[in-house]
Amino acid sequence: MLVKDYMTRHPCMAEPNMSVIEAQRYMWENGIRHLPIVGDGKRLLGLVTRQTLLVDPARLGSLDMWEISRFLSGLTLKDVMVKARDVITVEEDTAVEEAARIMVENRIGCLPVVEGGVVVGIITDTDLLTQLMEMMATRVPGVRVTIRMPNVRGELAKLVAAIGAQGWGILACGGVPVPRQPDTWEAVVKIRNVPGEEVVAALGQVEGQEIVDVREM
Amino acid sequence: MAVAETTSGRAGRSEGGRWRRTWEGISIIFRSGVAVVGLVVILFWVFVAILAPLLAPHDPLAQDSSAINQAPSSRYPLGTDNLGRDILSRLIYGSRTILILAPLSVLASVAVGIFLGLLGGYSGGLVDEIVMRILDAIMAFPTILLYLIIISAIGPSALNVVLAITFVGAPGVARLVRSLTLDIRTRDYIRAAETRGENRFYIMFFEILPNARGPIIIDSMLRVGYAIFSIGTLGFLGLGLPPPTPDWGGMISEARKFIWTNPLGVLWPALAISSLVVALNLFADGLREESTRYN
Amino acid sequence: MQQPRDIPVLDVKNLAVSYETRYGDVQAVRDVSFTIQRGEAYSIVGESGCGKSTVAFSIVSFLGRNGKIVDGHIMFQGRDLVGRPQEELRHIRGDQIAMVYQDPMQALNPSMRLGDQMAEVLIAHRGMEQKEAEEKCIQMLERVYMPDPANVMRRYPHQISGGQQQRVVIAMALLNGPSLLIMDEPTTALDVTVEATVLDLVAELQTRFDTAIMYISHNLGVVARVSDEVGVMYAGEMVERASVADAYLRPGHPYTLALMHCVPRLGMDKSSSYLYPIRGRVPPPSNLPPGCVFEPRCDFARPVCRQRRPELREVEPGHCARCHFAEQVLAGELRLPDDLIPDLDKMTTRGEGAERILSVEHARTYYEAPSKRLIGGKKQYVKAVDDVSVEVRKGRTLGIVGESGCGKSTLAKTIIGLETPTDGKLEFMGVDISTPVSQRDLDLIKNLQMVFQNPDSTLNPSFSVGSQIARPTRRFRAVPHSQVHAEVIRLLDMMRLGANYYDRLPRQLSGGEKQRVGIARAIAGRPELVLCDEPVSSLDVSVQAAVLNLLLQVQQEMGTTMAFIAHDLSVVRFFCDTIAVMYLGQVVEFGPAEAIYAPPYHPYTEALLSAVPIPDPRTEQKHIRLSGTVPSALNPPGGCRFHTRCPRRHMLPDGGRICEVEVPPWQCATEEHRIFCHIPLEELRKMDKVVTVEEETHAG
Repeated sequence: MLVKDYMTRHPCMAEPNMSVIEAQRYMWENGIRHLPIVGDGKRLLGLVTRQTLLVDPARLGSLDMWEISRFLSGLTLKDVMVKARDVITVEEDTAVEEAARIMVENRIGCLPVVEGGVVVGIITDTDLLTQLMEMMATRVPGVRVTIRMPNVRGELAKLVAAIGAQGWGILACGGVPVPRQPDTWEAVVKIRNVPGEEVVAALGQVEGQEIVDVREM
Repeated sequence: MAVAETTSGRAGRSEGGRWRRTWEGISIIFRSGVAVVGLVVILFWVFVAILAPLLAPHDPLAQDSSAINQAPSSRYPLGTDNLGRDILSRLIYGSRTILILAPLSVLASVAVGIFLGLLGGYSGGLVDEIVMRILDAIMAFPTILLYLIIISAIGPSALNVVLAITFVGAPGVARLVRSLTLDIRTRDYIRAAETRGENRFYIMFFEILPNARGPIIIDSMLRVGYAIFSIGTLGFLGLGLPPPTPDWGGMISEARKFIWTNPLGVLWPALAISSLVVALNLFADGLREESTRYN
Repeated sequence: MQQPRDIPVLDVKNLAVSYETRYGDVQAVRDVSFTIQRGEAYSIVGESGCGKSTVAFSIVSFLGRNGKIVDGHIMFQGRDLVGRPQEELRHIRGDQIAMVYQDPMQALNPSMRLGDQMAEVLIAHRGMEQKEAEEKCIQMLERVYMPDPANVMRRYPHQISGGQQQRVVIAMALLNGPSLLIMDEPTTALDVTVEATVLDLVAELQTRFDTAIMYISHNLGVVARVSDEVGVMYAGEMVERASVADAYLRPGHPYTLALMHCVPRLGMDKSSSYLYPIRGRVPPPSNLPPGCVFEPRCDFARPVCRQRRPELREVEPGHCARCHFAEQVLAGELRLPDDLIPDLDKMTTRGEGAERILSVEHARTYYEAPSKRLIGGKKQYVKAVDDVSVEVRKGRTLGIVGESGCGKSTLAKTIIGLETPTDGKLEFMGVDISTPVSQRDLDLIKNLQMVFQNPDSTLNPSFSVGSQIARPTRRFRAVPHSQVHAEVIRLLDMMRLGANYYDRLPRQLSGGEKQRVGIARAIAGRPELVLCDEPVSSLDVSVQAAVLNLLLQVQQEMGTTMAFIAHDLSVVRFFCDTIAVMYLGQVVEFGPAEAIYAPPYHPYTEALLSAVPIPDPRTEQKHIRLSGTVPSALNPPGGCRFHTRCPRRHMLPDGGRICEVEVPPWQCATEEHRIFCHIPLEELRKMDKVVTVEEETHAG
């Protein structure tokens, strides 16, 4: 589950001499939020987002109306882009969740994926959502059980052992500490081809653990 | 039975008919401005040569001892040479000589060259080796030297000039034809002819040669230019036609001695030679460029 | 919310391209639109002259001096390429679009080592260091399954085979990670078995590199194997756009329908192997029909088709066709006219023909290879044909099938006398024919004629069609002198060319027409045996069908015996009575046609059958690939020549040791069917059929 598995290769890119007006239209028509600016060999030179296309008012301060429109029409992307050294990127072998962390901490929605300075792809928040979906086997029908257990070593193993003892297949398995209850841990397990009642019956018997939710999806 | 549609090819033109195709071939000339310029000059000289008796104001051989090495005047429009002969008339009659000898010698050398080139190219093996090495040997001599040897061996005369040029020019043609033959020989229609049991001369002259005519024709035209050039050189070296026949090269040679007193005597025949050679080259070049333009 | 991956990599809209010619502007492509999504493999299919290569060239802006885009948009990654300055296009071409051509030598510099050429791409575009670039190149070569990549890097292009060259070219194209890879008939020049391996690679490229692929081909089988969506082009227009399954099984345009009918398939019975030709010929771009561009050749044309040009409209979700009656074509309501449906039984029953007219026994033709040393040195021989025995019976057809280097052309040339056999007994009509043609009797020559492969060089460009047919007619005295002209006209009629072809020059004819003239020329002398050396390989699919059917008809009417050489087993299926499969100068399997296509197979036959791309998405085909390349005929492997690549060696004890050492025996499966292999016959009989079709019903 690396970035390279979920990223989009060959993203839309632009060159630094493209005019800002043309770039605006390009991004608008194609619904692009992040546009990497590349030079020879797809080397990353900068990044332009919807926000950065808004021109800093301070630069316009001293110009009058006519000069402003001339100034604006002459702007190219290299004048407004975030320079490469300031652009946050990831490498394709980065773990997906690391990419997620970067996006969350920096409050950005897309990350260019770079290898040796060359743009090889782009990963967006939707890609991460896709990954979450895959990880939880959302599209495969089965029984989804949410179980609470003490946040103690060995508890999850107990659960898995119980499932294994029944000879069932685990489609997906994930877990997080319950928010606001740090001693409790919540695991979500998805099991295939077994009716819900059986699952409840078997897993309800695991000591110290409590089923809080069962659904077929 | 399903019927084959007979939609004609290539925009409906050149549909059958040999005359139509010939016309198409000729019309290529007119499409190239360069070729037309060359053609005009060539035709001018041909015109001059044909109408020489009408155009020349004096007899080219008549000597006027009172007017030696004179500058252009109303009587002698281009001046006179060292024997008092009118240069203009000599120029006009000289064009006849050149315009007969040059194409003739080219024709002869092309004929010999084609034969040897086809023979070597098609036969391959030992025959090819022998023919080629002989031709290589001839080509290895500097041309001037070769001319010297030949003319001094057989004596200067119009026929011998033709022979000399043929001998010197044939190897070049033979090489060209041989390389064309080597390429054409690999085609399937030659195989087809062989499987019909055709004899080799039929294949050489009737299957291969017609397909090599393009480059050969253009080469020949260039060769006419070289031949004119060579005739001029031979004349200049005194190996050309014996005097008093008007011969542009010979005229240059004679006038050269008097260049300080009458420089124009050298200029007029030199210009004449250059104009003809340049015109021929332009014509050949224009044709070649035009016929390969839309490839 | 739109994702970056939703933007199509290539979106061509109403593209129109014209070429300047001596006679004015000619429109080569008009109103072509298609879309390629990220990671998708899209094929454009059409016959020669339909404009598919022009479309590709206009995308990469390689139209040459004479070509220009006159209308339309080419949206690459959402931006229009039309009208952009050359400098920008050059950058895009270098970094984001790559092209692979038919001839790998067009992309490879013959005077540079492969490693240097490949590294140059990275050094020039990415400014990499030499060492790092070379490492990356080796990695890329591994990913295209090039054996021994480090060694290949140090070689020159001419030192590797065609299939390997093409792999190198593909690797070079992928080095910069292009988002679009355009492949223009990349496998057409390759042998069938090699083609199969390269196609496997192409199919993988999509998934591994996520590259969108635009695949251009005239070969419907290849297209079916490589892509999911296809666009069919005809005379510069896109006439149908559909998924492969739809286009092949339920076409919506009469041209696609006709194409599917004339493509050779490896069907198991003869009737499904029959090829239905498309009458007429492709209109020249300067003279297009006013209404529907296919109308003159369409079997279902109605008056409205001549008046109005149809629009490309959607007849089903994801399936567009440019036909007024597309729905009816789709529903299968339109039937082929009766005169096209042949009387198959009549076509294929032939006379008893027990008489052997040509018999070749243990023929060997060796070429002397120039020895490596200047003087002396051991003589080396290229063993082009090494112990071949075949026979043909009167009135029947023998097929000789094999890939390049197997010696089939040399065998043909030996029989016809263009080469002299080194050894062996060759007899034709009781006369010894081991002499070259120049020493043969005219009568013998007259009876043994040949049809050649390349239609462009089979006719002398300087003479008219009529005179070229008249020559053999006169020479062989087929008819009295006064009737020669009439006879030529008769032959032209038989070839379905009109009498007005008499005065035409070869350059005014299409490929198929030239080939027909070649056939007329060959049969002008009424020969007993006609050798056909791959007569249809260079022709378009629809024309192939017409020429093959013509040959059949000639055989019917004139009782001629035929020997047909091909490199493709599917073409000869319907046509031949007996088939010989050749490998590296030897015959490995010989027998009646039905026997060749069913088990027991020689392992090479099995591999050939599994490699042929089949234009039918319903067929199941075994996936057997040969490793390595064909060994050199200068030094063929000992024992069984196929042992270096045989996928079934493991069936013998000791991993097939015996194959390396001993020459295999001829095993006779039936009286007429023999296989040249060590593997016991019972084992061979247990093999599965290579090709199985789900339903036996005919499409359309």
